[in-house]
Amino acid sequence: MGLFESLHICIIALYALGTILFLTGVSTGNDKLKRISIWFASVGFFLNSVDLILVITKDANALNAGKFYFNILAWCVLALYFFLWWRLRLEFLAITALPLALLLFVASMSLGGIRVVMPPELTALFFGLHIGSLILTLGVLTMAFGAGLAFIYYDRKLKTKEGLSSIGKDVPSLEKFDRVNRWAVSLGFPIFTLGLFSTFFWYWIEPNKHFAWDIMKIGSLIVWFLYAFLFHQRIVLGWRGRKPAMLAIWVFAGMCVSLLHHTITFKAMP
Amino acid sequence: MNKKIVLIGLNHRTAGVEVREKFALTDVENFEKGLVANCPVHECMALSTCNRVEIIAVSKQVSEREVLDSLIQHWAGSCKSSPEVLLDNIYQYTDLEAVEHIFTVACSLDSMVMGEPQILGQLKDAYRSAVDNGTAKTIVNRLLHKSFSVAKRVRTETAIASSAVSISFAAVELAKKIFGDLEGTKAMLVGAGEMAELAATHLLHNGVMDIVIANRTFSRAKELSENMGGEPIQIEKMPDRLHEVDIVISSTGSPVAVIKAKEIKKVLKRRKNKPMFFIDIAVPRDIDPDVNNLDNVYLYDIDDLKEVVEDNMAQRQEEAFKAKAVVKLETDTFGLWLSSLELQPTIVDMVDKSEDIAQRELNKTLKRIGPVDNETRKALETLVLSVAHKSLHEPICFLKRRTQEEGSAERFIDIARRMFNLDEENIPPEAHLDRKPGICPPEDIEQLIDASKNKEQ
Repeated sequence: MGLFESLHICIIALYALGTILFLTGVSTGNDKLKRISIWFASVGFFLNSVDLILVITKDANALNAGKFYFNILAWCVLALYFFLWWRLRLEFLAITALPLALLLFVASMSLGGIRVVMPPELTALFFGLHIGSLILTLGVLTMAFGAGLAFIYYDRKLKTKEGLSSIGKDVPSLEKFDRVNRWAVSLGFPIFTLGLFSTFFWYWIEPNKHFAWDIMKIGSLIVWFLYAFLFHQRIVLGWRGRKPAMLAIWVFAGMCVSLLHHTITFKAMP
Repeated sequence: MNKKIVLIGLNHRTAGVEVREKFALTDVENFEKGLVANCPVHECMALSTCNRVEIIAVSKQVSEREVLDSLIQHWAGSCKSSPEVLLDNIYQYTDLEAVEHIFTVACSLDSMVMGEPQILGQLKDAYRSAVDNGTAKTIVNRLLHKSFSVAKRVRTETAIASSAVSISFAAVELAKKIFGDLEGTKAMLVGAGEMAELAATHLLHNGVMDIVIANRTFSRAKELSENMGGEPIQIEKMPDRLHEVDIVISSTGSPVAVIKAKEIKKVLKRRKNKPMFFIDIAVPRDIDPDVNNLDNVYLYDIDDLKEVVEDNMAQRQEEAFKAKAVVKLETDTFGLWLSSLELQPTIVDMVDKSEDIAQRELNKTLKRIGPVDNETRKALETLVLSVAHKSLHEPICFLKRRTQEEGSAERFIDIARRMFNLDEENIPPEAHLDRKPGICPPEDIEQLIDASKNKEQ
């Protein structure tokens, strides 16, 4: 077994252990298990970073070979999770971040191989603008998705006054969950807009490419409109709480469908 | 050991308030000194609170009945009452039952509101006073240190004290679930009922930055604001100020709703949908129940809060089972320590420990120097064991001499057990009153020895 295979198995094992231990910790209320799971995830994240650095340093063309886009996505989800944990002490979001990171990392192994053909001198620019920003957006939305689900669940409990004692002391306040949503909207939407419209720019500078509307592009645009609506309602009209939480969940779901559609379509291309 | 731990006491379960009042100890210091002077006890400690009196004593070598009778006589005498009345209202425990009881008290499992934190503080104060009076010695010292660590263990390992069991605390906890820490939030008190005032005080103690007090009688609002801080306003101005506040506590005597859902809709718009928490303690209710249907608004009336409190109480009862298991386990451990307060088992433990260390060091050396023949190995083993035994000669002789003196056996045996760490216990630093923080890890000891030797040279 080569270095990469061993590294990948280690990362999957660490993410899987982290996920299982965290979910067990949450369901049994065991703080020690949760702490151990975060350590596993941290080591996995470190190895994931090492893996990405090795891939890029070994082969500069790796960026447009597209073999590890999902791998970066898994890394990005955890990077954003650790950032939120550092800023807001939102350990709780691991409930979505860890399983998703595991899923994306495993998917990177089976769904890899998307080739993005472009002039080599524009690779870094394209990668930074389009892929990088879209990956960052999805990572941000993953956090908003977890926070949104948690907000709706606990908001319902507080409104109906049922099972209040099940809200543990460690569960963050509704205000904190809402802050993640605000952060995801105000930061995520401009990045997503940049990522999405950089593709159109690509058609403009590349003479051999001709723009044509297809389901893939229309799908992406629908997600953008949904996100734009959320951005407008939240930033301009001051929506807070349940409604933006619900909308963020829909935007995340739309983004996932669009991503899968892109992946399958690109993979089927000759 | 012929000495016994005895405990007599009364609490809210065994005695009514009239009896508790009568037998409360107003001068604990003199009571403890009197106990040691007039009763056959070596050491003692008394705790007296509004809900309980507990007297712990370590008896001299006399019968259990004699000690208990003298304690009851002394207690009744110091309260100028008859021992018969006292006898009808007290409980009596000896040895491990007494230990288990004091652990149960420290963990607040025997309190009127189970899990309340005050009792531990009261127990610490009582212990400090007994130490100052010189009536707490080896066994009471160890018993109380242990009870503090058991209480800490119960608090960390169970959720016995994790949820609010009073209406006002429940309101604060709910507010924290919505806003997180309450730093920077603003509250409004509508009406000036006693319970609302209490809830407002708790909110202020938990970080609420400012409070507006709206009342029909302005002078009462002013009076309250002087006590709590905050701004008094006429109740008529309340709708114009609602958008400024995050938490509203209402308790007016109005027969109709004072705050309506339609008004709150407008208030939310002005607040850009910032969440609001309404606590309605009034009966009939002051706040339109439809307010709870609005997004980002949470309304709790008195029945809702009572339900929260009842749920929390039920949860504490469940946690109490876990806590009792911890207490049982720690009582058994304490029992082992009590029975080790004889010279013989302490000598055996000291020798075992030294032999163990010698054997471990020998194995390390053998690993370092490589394979040796059986004869050399045996000689080395004899050498290290003999050093281990000989280094214990003086401490053992000292202990034998000291334990022949009247009243000092337990003290010296206890010190020896602690010096040699024979019980391998981890007592949390805060279990010891007045100890300066700082730890002594084993790896630093070698350095300490080297440094001390170098200084000497």
